[in-house]
Amino acid sequence: MTRVGVFSASLRLRGSTELAEVSGPVSEVTRVELIFKKSDLQVIFNHCLAAAPNEACGMLGGKDGRVEKAYCMRNAKPGPDYYEMDPEEQFRVMKDIRDSGLKMIGLFHSHPMSQAYPSSVDVSQAYWPGTQMPNYPDAVYVIVTLMNRAKPVARGFSIEEGKVSEVTLTMV
Amino acid sequence: MAIKVRIPTPLQNLTNGKAEVECSVKNVKELVDALERDYPGMQERLSEGGKIRRFINIYVNDDDIRFLNKEETALKDGDTISIVPAIAGG
Repeated sequence: MTRVGVFSASLRLRGSTELAEVSGPVSEVTRVELIFKKSDLQVIFNHCLAAAPNEACGMLGGKDGRVEKAYCMRNAKPGPDYYEMDPEEQFRVMKDIRDSGLKMIGLFHSHPMSQAYPSSVDVSQAYWPGTQMPNYPDAVYVIVTLMNRAKPVARGFSIEEGKVSEVTLTMV
Repeated sequence: MAIKVRIPTPLQNLTNGKAEVECSVKNVKELVDALERDYPGMQERLSEGGKIRRFINIYVNDDDIRFLNKEETALKDGDTISIVPAIAGG
């Protein structure tokens, strides 16, 4: 198992993971960890690349910090700096996660032209409108930057009551 | 059999931590009124000017009320209402 703070993968799968340079603010790192299978990460990266230059989004079902199912979903309001999940699909995916005996442990989306770090819109949308109560406090927000299309980079974050903390992502 | 209402995490501080409550109402508008009566503060969190706030999805069983009759969507005993925050960002 390769344990890294951040990781990247190119379009062609390689035998070993590579560490990417982290550019952008360094947040406090929480003890929370999210574990991905390499195949799921590749599916996520491919989904993000296919949607570019618009943002892509999706949901992660799993348990005990381990992603079991990655759902690539539709951006209902596609744009280079915005995404919105389709309500019907969101409901259907959340139901599938529940029916599979899993929990919604993460949400991913891409930043085609900016850093893998929560934007002000990401942070405000993480809360119930008009409050700082997190909508999905147990979810890790995974952001994939495509600033270098040949080398997508993913970082994970917890967004809670005005505070953004980094979550360790691990690939197995 | 009453109507079951699934309460999302950010509203559970109003329901004393309950993730599911019950009520008996005729439509979604009455549901908001009933929730406000039982759990003060709920109306302001859910609606503005009599309409459900934009980033809040409400489903009656498996159907989004936007595709039914919005706030006038009829409810009956045995229905399950899910209040689910939208997921968006930039």
